[in-house]
Amino acid sequence: MRFVLILLLAFASLARAAEPELLEPDKAFRFAARLKDARSIEVTYQIAPGYYMYRDKFQFTLAPAGVKSGAPQLPPGRKHRDEFFGEVETYRGSLSILLPFELADAGQPALQLAAVSQGCADIGVCYVPHEQKAELQFASLAAGAARSDAAPGWLFGSGPAADDTSIARVFEGGFWLVVASFFGFGLLLSFTPCVLPMVPILSGVIVGSGRAVTKTKGFLLAAVYVLGMALTYAGAGVAAGLSGSMLSVALQSPWVLGAFALVFVALALAMFGLYELQMPVALQHRLADASNRFHGGHTVGVFVMGVLSALILGPCVAAPLAGALLYIGQSRDVVLGGSALFAMALGMGVPLLAVGASAGALMPKAGPWMETVKRSFGTVLLGMAIYLVSPFLTVPVQMFLWAALLIVTAIHLRAIDPLPATAHGFQRFSKGVGIIALIAGLAYLVGALSGGRDILQPLSGLRVTDSGGASSETPFERIGNVAELDERIRAAAGRTVMLDFYADWCVSCKEMERYTFSDERVRARFREMVLLQADVTANNAEDAALLKRFRLFGPPGIVFFDRDGREIQGLRVIGFQPADRFVPVLDQALGFRR
Amino acid sequence: MKARSLAILILVAGASAAAGVGYHLWSRGGGTGSGMDTPEVVERVLRAQLADVKGTSRSLEQWRGSVLVVNYWATWCAPCREEIPVFVRLQERYGSRGLQFVGIAIDPPDPVAAFAREFRINYPLLLGGVEAIELLRQVGNRAGVLPYTLVIDRNGNLVSREPGGLKEARLERLIQPLL
Repeated sequence: MRFVLILLLAFASLARAAEPELLEPDKAFRFAARLKDARSIEVTYQIAPGYYMYRDKFQFTLAPAGVKSGAPQLPPGRKHRDEFFGEVETYRGSLSILLPFELADAGQPALQLAAVSQGCADIGVCYVPHEQKAELQFASLAAGAARSDAAPGWLFGSGPAADDTSIARVFEGGFWLVVASFFGFGLLLSFTPCVLPMVPILSGVIVGSGRAVTKTKGFLLAAVYVLGMALTYAGAGVAAGLSGSMLSVALQSPWVLGAFALVFVALALAMFGLYELQMPVALQHRLADASNRFHGGHTVGVFVMGVLSALILGPCVAAPLAGALLYIGQSRDVVLGGSALFAMALGMGVPLLAVGASAGALMPKAGPWMETVKRSFGTVLLGMAIYLVSPFLTVPVQMFLWAALLIVTAIHLRAIDPLPATAHGFQRFSKGVGIIALIAGLAYLVGALSGGRDILQPLSGLRVTDSGGASSETPFERIGNVAELDERIRAAAGRTVMLDFYADWCVSCKEMERYTFSDERVRARFREMVLLQADVTANNAEDAALLKRFRLFGPPGIVFFDRDGREIQGLRVIGFQPADRFVPVLDQALGFRR
Repeated sequence: MKARSLAILILVAGASAAAGVGYHLWSRGGGTGSGMDTPEVVERVLRAQLADVKGTSRSLEQWRGSVLVVNYWATWCAPCREEIPVFVRLQERYGSRGLQFVGIAIDPPDPVAAFAREFRINYPLLLGGVEAIELLRQVGNRAGVLPYTLVIDRNGNLVSREPGGLKEARLERLIQPLL
């Protein structure tokens, strides 16, 4: 019964997430900026599904005055005809803009970026030009790069928002991880029930029947065969990468990614044995005939056989291969695509090489364990499906999906079935894995139901509420008008002052209080400051005067004053900032000397 | 066994749908308060000094006493443009009975002038800058949504705030009792 209740709650939260409601512009167009290197800034927008931005309406302003910004590099948008303006380009999904800049004075510790953008929602409204700000610390250049590498992303390093196809970037990031993953993927594929039994037969064909071969020759011929296969797969990978770069704009749409996710689910169902998936039989036969015409034993013949064999997709390989190609197409990376698929084919060829080298002595026995391999592919494919659509889902929904996948997998691994006393090692191992999956799944479920915000720390939401409840509210002094503010700043002489604009309806203010102000590192720094808060919920004339003084439209906004009571220019925090980013800002405010 | 699990599934689906709808209604009910002081904001809207297309500074004061429909819009905002022909029609139909449309465009002057010519706009257009946007937020439009339309009666009372596109029938129903 409790399970039904949990399910019910989860569905309720899903139903709410699907409800179309007009988002605040900061939510509809999630803005982020980071220093890509010492000469350019990468500005990214995560555009919510159903919203779009105008390509020709971006304006970027950099401060301080010594910084000159170059022309922003805007990727091509989606073109459509506008009856008044003619052709208009818009963006949907995720958007990355490169903003080059020149620094006249190398001594600057930080840059302030103000980005003005314009966008609309499909339901029939637009937003007034919207300004979003970011503070970019040069000191963070090294640390920032490291952080983005460790970004969430499970098996494969780069996410669907991978925006850069430059080879340099690929090599610095998860390139080798992806290639290694594909190699492992290929190795696993060769243990599926439709590939492994073929290996001895295949190796007989390769070597040429009825001929005595040395181990070296056997290995070399097998290697040539595998190479032929691998090059074909690499070609497919390159093609997928190329098609991906042409389809890159379309691929950012939630519909396309959603459709891909559905394909993954369909492929996964094939892996679970709900139906069989393979190339049309007629085509398979024709290719098989062609490859049979080449006689074994000769290097060229074996190579061509390898090439052709890659085209004969068995029922087990077709689905994962399609998945892999979709993933490559999605990453829009030709080099990565070719290398990954090459590695995958090499992985698939490993048993063949082993058989060739050992002349048949090294050969695992076929058995029901192969079905397990097949099913684990199904699970991986379902994971890919969730991963693909996750940019368009709220974190709790993502967590719920992961929870469902992990828990169902765990049950399949017999996590809660009792083990017989006679259980052998593999059963015990699989139960162990199952229990890990079960606990991780439960953690995600709890995270989803408790409004967790971090997919890597599903329970962090609970932790913050607990400690926040115990260790009292952040001690802000309320101020009501400009005169009070001036008086408090004067009274604080010699101490740094932080002024926080707050309103009951301001979501990011609440997030700031709950997640950032409650952080122990933030609290430690708060103890060295005078903390003021202006509650502008009522939005009366005094509130308006306060906002106007700092040229703010409204909360959220945090302003700092130095020990002499003057505002520290360029150190404002607008919008939500996690503690990791907020702590360096506090340090700068505390250390500020004119 | 199968029938029973199906029944449970249907039960769960139904209950969760109900819970979702309930939660939605509950969450919506709490979130509509705007915290603004209506007469004061209308006063500020009426007094705001805005430039017209030629650069002359004007305010809405001159139409005080009319039934005012103040429409915030922009030429780049497709949904805003769709309702302009409706405004032109209604201005023509009810202008003599004291209805006055005023458009406030969040735009540079050139496209507004071109647009006014092309669509034969028969009511005054003013240009809104940062101040106008701030005012727009104070009226209760915190997200800064366009189009956004205010209906003000002859006594300067704010009768309605309309975010998003307006249908002709709805606008007519709103203004007819005021004339």
